[in-house]
Amino acid sequence: MNRTDFVLHLIGEIAHYILDAEPMRMVISLHQEEDGLHLAILDSVPRDENELKTIRASLNNARRPELAGYYGNMAGYDSLGAARLNLIGWQVKGADVNSSDSGTKIDLWLGGDRFDPQTFSIPDSGEME
Amino acid sequence: MGGAVISGVVSEGFSSVLRGFQVIQTHPARLVNDFTVAASEGAALVNAVAVALIGLVLVRVNGVKLSGPTVAGVFTLFGFGLFGKTPLNIAPIMVGVYLAARIAGKEFRDYSIIALFGTALGPLVSLLAFELTEPSAMQLGIAMLGGILVGIVLPAAAIAMLRLHQGYNLYNIGLTTGFLALFVAAVIFGRGGQLAGGGLWNETPSMMLRLLVPISSAVLVTGGLIGGGREALRSFGRILKLPGRLPSDFMDIESIPGTLINMGVMGFALWGYVLAVGADLNGPVLGGIFTVMGFSSFGKHPRNVWPILAGVILAALAFGKELSAPGVILGALFGTTLAPLAGDFGVVAGVIAGFLHLSIVLRSGAWHAGIGLYNNGFAGGLTAGLIVAVIEWYRSNRTRVKPARSGSISSGGKRSS
Repeated sequence: MNRTDFVLHLIGEIAHYILDAEPMRMVISLHQEEDGLHLAILDSVPRDENELKTIRASLNNARRPELAGYYGNMAGYDSLGAARLNLIGWQVKGADVNSSDSGTKIDLWLGGDRFDPQTFSIPDSGEME
Repeated sequence: MGGAVISGVVSEGFSSVLRGFQVIQTHPARLVNDFTVAASEGAALVNAVAVALIGLVLVRVNGVKLSGPTVAGVFTLFGFGLFGKTPLNIAPIMVGVYLAARIAGKEFRDYSIIALFGTALGPLVSLLAFELTEPSAMQLGIAMLGGILVGIVLPAAAIAMLRLHQGYNLYNIGLTTGFLALFVAAVIFGRGGQLAGGGLWNETPSMMLRLLVPISSAVLVTGGLIGGGREALRSFGRILKLPGRLPSDFMDIESIPGTLINMGVMGFALWGYVLAVGADLNGPVLGGIFTVMGFSSFGKHPRNVWPILAGVILAALAFGKELSAPGVILGALFGTTLAPLAGDFGVVAGVIAGFLHLSIVLRSGAWHAGIGLYNNGFAGGLTAGLIVAVIEWYRSNRTRVKPARSGSISSGGKRSS
């Protein structure tokens, strides 16, 4: 799977999850660099701390290459049933999930072993919104 | 597993078991060849343990976590080691999947689950090596090459098949290997003269075979209770609420003790069902139960399995089939591959799925001459694909836009509540 397909499927799955909550607004922002990329997803649905914790746990799964390499390919393809954030969690380097002024903001960091999200040059949340 | 080897060797003697083990390696492996009568019960158990150990080594060497899918894989290898898989016929397929990983620029562990389950095409290797013509070194080479080639194709096909049923058929590799086996059978038998399926079925299994499941189940339940106490029972209760759609690693989502209890309970339940309908607890039936026990760490639990079983029973009664008949009992055990349909869409969907499953699985084995060992996974995949397509079509045409959850948004993009 090339990079474009990979990103498309991740966006599909996360968009599925966001849309299941019936938001009035969803914004997906992508910033790419050579070694990695950052996806920021914002919606208009306020979530309580328990919900945020569940999302965080799903997106920050331990890396499971044996699941990512096989079942991870379902990400963004399935339209039935609930969206499954763990399909994304197995494939990303890390994820931040926080409440924003108007809803929820999810940051996904993807990249190879050389990729360090801490030094990744992305716009701050103010610019993104 | 150690217990299975010891009981096999003790009951029949080391040299007898060794001879039987050798017989199994060169025996036809297509559906349904019960190794407990092809050689002996002890030899079949030793073969099953050897096959499962290869799976365990593959998991450990590649640094893959021993969790729901890998436990399911190892239990499935053990189960099918009683009626179709041998160390000799699974090795080339694993090599093929390894080569596929290299071709795709991935590590072998990325495809390790495909390698474990893809061994369902083991009978192809046995067919090419020992069934078509007189065995020879050249024929063995052709068989190895055939196994490697299908192994190379497996990952691509398996990933595509996942998208057909969207994770509602737990034995996705069954659908994949059945699909590939259609082409393989068509090529091999292109000049006519298709071989009939195997017909070995142990009708008088010993007490050792009959007690294998309850003993294993008791060990699992006890292990779960010792490991987790009352919390393990609460965890088991939470597992019962999960839909089970692929990939649902109960050990990861819930807990290891709760999962062990679920595996043990499922073992006891299906063993009781087999006894209740008067079926034989032989190699294939034990293979079915052990596969279900394995998948009870990866999608199956009593609540999502019973509607499928009910559907299979209804179909058998409607078609005038004995519930203990080989095809029906295997359909009932392995048909639970469709459990996520009941888990996600309810009892009615599960019963319909079970009914349709038995209808098709009684025919689908002949399509590929029994080369794909997971025939129920193949039929289950077709059934799940049909049901998922209908549900998806219905929902996509009936769904209306609902009011948003968080109020409206002004033209400036700011939300107002």
